[in-house]
Amino acid sequence: MLSITNLHAGYGKVEVLHGISLEVPKGQVVTLIGSNGAGKTTTMRAVSGMIAPREGKVMLGDVDITGRESHRIARLGLAHSPEGRRVFATMTVNDNLLLGAFPRFTGARSKGDIAADLERAMEYFPRLKERRLQLAGTLSGGEQQMLAMARAMMMNPDVVLLDEPSMGLAPILVDEVFRIISRLRSEGVTMLLVEQFAAAALNVSDYGYVLENGRIAVHGPAEKLKNDPAVQAAYLGGGH
Amino acid sequence: MKSRPLLLAAVGLAILIGFPFVVANPYYIHLAQTIAIYAILLFGLDIVVGYTGQVSLGHAGLFGIGAYTAGVLYMHFHAPLLLTLLAGIGTTAAFGAILALPALRVTGPYLAMVTLAFGTIIQILINEVTDVTNGPMGITFSKPVLLGMVLDERAYYWVCSVLLVASLVVVHRLLRSHLGRAFEALRGSPIASDCMGVSVYRYKVYAFVISAGFAGLAGSLYAYSERYISPNTYNFELTVLFLLAIIMGGRKTRSGALLGATVIVMLPKLLDDLDLFRYVSVTLAALVAAGAAVQVARGKTTVARSAIPVIGSVALAVLSFVLTSMTDWRLSIFGLITLLVVYYLQDGIIGFVRQTLGWRGHGASDAAAAATLPPPASAVSTAVSQSATPAAQELVAADKVLMQFGGLKALNDVALHVARGTIHGLIGPNGSGKSTMMNVLTGIYVPTAGSIAFKGQSIVGRTSARIALAGIARTFQNVQLFGEMTALQNVLVGLHHTYRSNLLDVALHLPRYLREERAATARAYALLKFVGLEALAGEEARNLPYGKQRLLEIARALALNPELLLLDEPAAGLTAPDIKELVVIVRKIREHGITLILIEHHMDVVMSVCDVVTVLDFGQKIAEGTPAAVQANPQVIKAYLGGELEAPAAH
Amino acid sequence: MEILTQLIFSGISLGMIYAVIAFGYQLTFATSDTLNFGQGDALMLGALVGLTLVGMGVNYWLMIPLVCVFGAIQGAVVERIGVRPALKIKSEFGWIMSTIALGIIFKNVAENVWGHDDLKFPSPLPESPIKFLGANVLPMEILVVVGAVLMMAAVELFNRKTIWGKAVVATFNDRDAARLMGINTSLVITFSYALSSMSAALAGVLIAPLTLTGSTMGAVLGLKAFAVAIIGGLTSGMGIIVGGIILGIAEKLTGFYLSTGYQDVPGLVLLLIVLAVRPAGLFGKTAIKKV
Repeated sequence: MLSITNLHAGYGKVEVLHGISLEVPKGQVVTLIGSNGAGKTTTMRAVSGMIAPREGKVMLGDVDITGRESHRIARLGLAHSPEGRRVFATMTVNDNLLLGAFPRFTGARSKGDIAADLERAMEYFPRLKERRLQLAGTLSGGEQQMLAMARAMMMNPDVVLLDEPSMGLAPILVDEVFRIISRLRSEGVTMLLVEQFAAAALNVSDYGYVLENGRIAVHGPAEKLKNDPAVQAAYLGGGH
Repeated sequence: MKSRPLLLAAVGLAILIGFPFVVANPYYIHLAQTIAIYAILLFGLDIVVGYTGQVSLGHAGLFGIGAYTAGVLYMHFHAPLLLTLLAGIGTTAAFGAILALPALRVTGPYLAMVTLAFGTIIQILINEVTDVTNGPMGITFSKPVLLGMVLDERAYYWVCSVLLVASLVVVHRLLRSHLGRAFEALRGSPIASDCMGVSVYRYKVYAFVISAGFAGLAGSLYAYSERYISPNTYNFELTVLFLLAIIMGGRKTRSGALLGATVIVMLPKLLDDLDLFRYVSVTLAALVAAGAAVQVARGKTTVARSAIPVIGSVALAVLSFVLTSMTDWRLSIFGLITLLVVYYLQDGIIGFVRQTLGWRGHGASDAAAAATLPPPASAVSTAVSQSATPAAQELVAADKVLMQFGGLKALNDVALHVARGTIHGLIGPNGSGKSTMMNVLTGIYVPTAGSIAFKGQSIVGRTSARIALAGIARTFQNVQLFGEMTALQNVLVGLHHTYRSNLLDVALHLPRYLREERAATARAYALLKFVGLEALAGEEARNLPYGKQRLLEIARALALNPELLLLDEPAAGLTAPDIKELVVIVRKIREHGITLILIEHHMDVVMSVCDVVTVLDFGQKIAEGTPAAVQANPQVIKAYLGGELEAPAAH
Repeated sequence: MEILTQLIFSGISLGMIYAVIAFGYQLTFATSDTLNFGQGDALMLGALVGLTLVGMGVNYWLMIPLVCVFGAIQGAVVERIGVRPALKIKSEFGWIMSTIALGIIFKNVAENVWGHDDLKFPSPLPESPIKFLGANVLPMEILVVVGAVLMMAAVELFNRKTIWGKAVVATFNDRDAARLMGINTSLVITFSYALSSMSAALAGVLIAPLTLTGSTMGAVLGLKAFAVAIIGGLTSGMGIIVGGIILGIAEKLTGFYLSTGYQDVPGLVLLLIVLAVRPAGLFGKTAIKKV
């Protein structure tokens, strides 16, 4: 569904990604893990158009989305829940979710029944239902993460990019978030998950890639990676 | 001294002095006076706009204050010429200070609006306080008198020329000195500027007050030149005209100011004479088209990009044949020129010419000269080695530090004690508070609660500039160099604290200033050598490869003679050989007696170089000890990986 | 006492004009961190175009939507030519100078088309004052207040109730995240400039019958409206109404008790004081910068 080939990207004079390739097959959850500074968020941004790739190709289905503007990529069915949540703070939970469905309002995606999908989102995320009319900026970190994920799903996307959902969350909320990801996985959502917490991420994924200093160090089925010492070495050094 | 500028200066001077002999018509001599007067104001305005990068819409008002100071003193007291000129400078500088002190706390559009408000208020006051200023009726002057002689048009022209040359020399020397570097630095990176001990606010005020002084001088000269002044001259259009002159002529150059002054004085006259304008506009269109063709052929620009200026100048030429009177459209033409220049000729005409002819600035030659100076005793010195009393063992004592942003506790009850002479590592996952800690230590954030003592004294609430001067220097995670300045100049900004010279020392090139400049330049060069960058001393910082930029930041920080050096992710984005070089330099720094705190993600660097490592997670300290101990600590492993992974066998 | 009440009512009416122009500043600043230094000239063009239409026989009430359309187009032009290139190269100096330049061009064009003299704008409402709380109030002044309030309320409603309005508010909150929702933020910025100039043009035709209409009417208005925008805080709608009324009343009182020449001074001085003491404005929120 989503395929990245030889991606080079960076900021200003610095190249952060030195040619990475990965595949997210339809209906699978693929995780990209690595220590801070390895380039995980840069990868997400290069895919969703927040930054332009310098070299390489990104394909969404049959469509080449390399270097396109982010609002156009979104309209093609790629939902990105960015690092740091980035919910619309002065707007209500309800409005945030409606905006997630924006491409459906404008006709870029098939309209379907937006109101029904809104209710479904509320069932999925009961915490949000209680706070429907609350301003998103006043929600706790965990609730904002729920909102960001629900907002991404409102588009009925073909692929979801989920960037560091656990960041800044207390452990009990991290568990809840991963439980929801697990549930989404069982419903066949196609997802690229970026995480610093290797263990939790590999538990909910089908396949994993380990990013180290802008390159893929190791990749394989999630079950096998869980026991691979190379994974810990990629974070804390001492492996080479 | 280099031969080319000297030659140009001699030629310029000859033209300046000889002009009224060649052109005897008093009308043209008067125009030349006006150009000289405007140029004096523009030299000052360039300091604010070109160097500190602020938009000032109030300089017409300052110009008016200068003119009316002369007018009021003349009308009420019959004051002599020299006195009114001096009073003009002083009064306008004072008004400039009154405006600058509150206004320069804001920047960008706010500052533009504030200066505009100021200019408008001045115009209103001049108009309304009729007892003093004669209001709308204006003030008439008789011919100026100097040393008992009545000055005719030609003699007054020479007075203006002398002052023009004097202003040019003063401004030139000012901008080449440490003061000029400070002005450029605060535009390049305000945060780095503060952290290098150059207070952004203070130097913005200096720049503004100095430019006000020049505006005042120009205004007073203008009054005697026109021999009639009235309030409605000093309006918004005039202030925009001044700005246009600077950006069209070229920022950060004296010749740009002169060229700009010539254009804004001559262009309206040109528009009045339609035939002449037609010739000029056609010639201009041809030149622009030719210049664009050259640039496209050289591959420096595309056809699409150069289309608009070419079309614009051709359209102007066509328009000059269609319209019967251009004078009414004068302001529209100025507006269009402004639009074109702002987007297509960002360095102005002089900048464009320099680029085309490949002339480089003085940065490269300064660097070459620096290499020939005798090196100082030691490039890296720290206040520690210079002090007689035994130094305390604990350099930094931070306790119960709380940093709260709204509901988020970025730092929660953190204790950090750094022993003198150690290399102390600070690590932790993303968002754990490491950079926040660094910002708190350097005064960028004021902690919500807790105590932070440096050398036994509290630094909570002190400004970044003061903390820098107290002995804490730093580098930044996102490189904060002064991009348009050379490597040598960047380090020289770090050495700003070694100068005691003031504006007078600089303007007159007194021995104290010359001594300090030599010493600082030699020291800066030696610091570049210390980090291995001496070959790139004359390169603009933004053109350096990334790894070298990071080393340059370290050299600049060392210029502060710090006792504590904070390095924020120095290895980020570096290649393996660069990292090896970095480690060597870090060890050398420690050997000179400087204590280091290192934020890093590259575990290899942390392990090989640090004596002690503190680990943060969620804003709290979760571990502290030797690198090896921390690496094996299960809590640390869990913080990074999220636990549940099998720990590998120890190796 | 009667005079005082009269001055206060005039001041409120004038203040609402400032509020509407300030509203325009807020719109563009919210979505793009830029504003139009030629906002006053947008008002002036609206008034003059309105005058011409009325002179051609168009009914005042019919003229209003036409002027609004003109204002919107003018705003879009300013954004395209002046602001968008600057945003692309991230140059603050760029949009400041180019919106100033465009303002000068518009003013010069107005001078050449409509002349340098001030013209009389025929009032659509009877010009005899009505008694209100013991003071004389012109019906036109009431219309100004009503018109201003309606305009701002309409935009508020748009922002809250329609998905397009919500898209604008989303852009104001977080431009990057808005793009990830499929929102074309460039279009949103163009739209806010169009709306901003439209509100200035509307303010122009509202105030024109009360004062003289000419190419110079916009100049100081734009600057004082900026003062109101600062006093109210660049993000607060309520703030600019309060700020505008304070300023309007202060000006009317100064003009009467001191001299008309000094009328413009309170606003300008207020601007200086507020920026020196509390740059976020009386109602706004300060932002914390991170390194």
